[in-house]
Amino acid sequence: MGPRILLVDDEQEFVLTLAERLQMRDMDSYAAFDGPTALEQVRSHPPQILIIDLKMPGMDGIQVLKQVKQTHPGIQIIILTGHGSEQDKINCMNLGASAYFQKPVDIDRLIAAIRQGYETVRSDDQKTATFDRYPKTGSWQP
Amino acid sequence: MIPLHRLKPDFWDFPDISGSHSGLNLKRKWKMIVLVTATLALSPLVIMTLVDFSLTRRTIETEANTGMLTSLNTIAAVISASLEEKPPVTGAKTLWEKAFPHLDTGMNNDLFLMDNTGRLLTPSVYYGASDSKTSLDAGLFSGAEGIVNIQAPDGTPLLAGYTSITGTALTLVKLQQADRLRDLWLKPRLQLLWFLCASIGFILLSIMGMATFLVSRIHKSERMRIEALHHEEHANRLASIGRLASGVAHEINNPLDIINQKTGLIIDLLTLEKQARPDQRLLPLAEDVLEAVKRCGTITRQLLDFARHMEPCVEPVDMEEVISQVLALLETDARHRDITINVPPVPKIPGFACDRSSLVQIFLNLAENAITAMGKTGTLTIAVTHEKTGFVTIRVSDTGKGIPSEDLPKIFEPFYTTRTDRWGGGLGLAITYGLIREMGGDIRVKSAVDKGTRFILTLPVKAPRPAAPDGTLHLPGSEMTMSAKPVDDDTRRDLYAKS
Repeated sequence: MGPRILLVDDEQEFVLTLAERLQMRDMDSYAAFDGPTALEQVRSHPPQILIIDLKMPGMDGIQVLKQVKQTHPGIQIIILTGHGSEQDKINCMNLGASAYFQKPVDIDRLIAAIRQGYETVRSDDQKTATFDRYPKTGSWQP
Repeated sequence: MIPLHRLKPDFWDFPDISGSHSGLNLKRKWKMIVLVTATLALSPLVIMTLVDFSLTRRTIETEANTGMLTSLNTIAAVISASLEEKPPVTGAKTLWEKAFPHLDTGMNNDLFLMDNTGRLLTPSVYYGASDSKTSLDAGLFSGAEGIVNIQAPDGTPLLAGYTSITGTALTLVKLQQADRLRDLWLKPRLQLLWFLCASIGFILLSIMGMATFLVSRIHKSERMRIEALHHEEHANRLASIGRLASGVAHEINNPLDIINQKTGLIIDLLTLEKQARPDQRLLPLAEDVLEAVKRCGTITRQLLDFARHMEPCVEPVDMEEVISQVLALLETDARHRDITINVPPVPKIPGFACDRSSLVQIFLNLAENAITAMGKTGTLTIAVTHEKTGFVTIRVSDTGKGIPSEDLPKIFEPFYTTRTDRWGGGLGLAITYGLIREMGGDIRVKSAVDKGTRFILTLPVKAPRPAAPDGTLHLPGSEMTMSAKPVDDDTRRDLYAKS
């Protein structure tokens, strides 16, 4: 079985379709339509990869990113947004996101990023098994 | 002869369109200045000269008349005293011949005696020999003494001074030409008048010169002000178009990705889950949709690039390296088209710093445009000079088809394009313009149809500090917060002032 992926976006049509496409590629993907639900899901059912939109009503993507990085630093986070600027990209990467995509996204590039993230998660897991400790942060260094 | 139109100042034919920025009628202003100054300067001069003229004339006339009468009276007194013993008429004659044998009479000194009937006792220059009856009317010389204007028989205007000799019926008359007196005062006065006319001429010329100078200065500064206003308007318009564009681009990206993913799903369904009998046309159709989505994505990305006002990273940049990097990207295209790329040696510009990616983008856009404009063959020249202190001048010239002059003002506007292929989004120059303005530079264009186009960039050696570090954008009619903030003009001005 492939990586477990949580997709967070208020565009329901988009997020459900993308989830379906990822499932077709043997990835265990499920969707949340807002920030609080996503955090809830992360708590109850932590994914390995988290794909977040930046602009969402209520709680925006940056907040979700910060909170998840605090509680679950091991989760690889990919930003997928229609609104980003270069500055947003830099901010997100500094906060620990592993990849940043601007909509409309090419599915192959997204999948490549997911696979890379999954590799990171798995090697982290192995390290954890070896050294019996979690990496403190997954912060991205430019 | 000097051609008159050369002397004519620029503002003379400057159209004064009501509702234009100027609202000044410079020609009228010039006339007003000349008229008022000339009146103020010249009227005292003219009035003083006229007063002096008439005063002098009267003084000289009075003096001359008094002098003539005094001398007549003296002679008359002598004659009167000598005639007391002898009969007046014959005595007077004898006395005259004896006393004034060598009397120097002439046109201006015709001295003679006559009696009250008009008969001459002594000869006169104008009225002939003695004892003759003259045409002179003795009635003219009534009274003891006086001066009258008469006419000689030949028509010469004469001034006649007379005095009656006491105790006799005789009158002593002196005639002189009326003109003589006028000659006395008019000649020097006329010289003075010439001098006056010459000075009036000089004064008028200098007033006109001053007025022309002043109004030309007004005209020049007015024109500069209007140009600056136009520039500002243009920049503002581009900025607001940019804001609108980025808003539209952001809003379109979301539904665009729904189309993208849904179509992707269709393709997935067709390819990953081998369906029993799919229609053969479905897959290519879905791929066409994806292709169209990609194009839309390119356009929205270009729009965002155009509207991008995020913090550029100012760093020391080697201009030569940037140019060679850009040319490397274009080399293949240029070689295929048989286009020569000519880069004169780039001078070292100490301390040149700017946003490197912006500079690359600027060169790339301009060079791509040039290559497109040239078509099959031509020469692209990128020349960098360090002419003005603090500024770098870059000239990007091509030998392409040129831009018609009516299109020149529009080329920096977004979506203006002449390209018919689908990649010509019409944003290249708009982006370039935005980037250059962000760097605190300026771009100008010169073009001749069928000869070529030259873009002249002026960039400051030290780029101004970038603005809006927080990168917040307030988009119209939207609650979006995630974007770069366009630099408003006040901020920009402040930044320039600081830098």
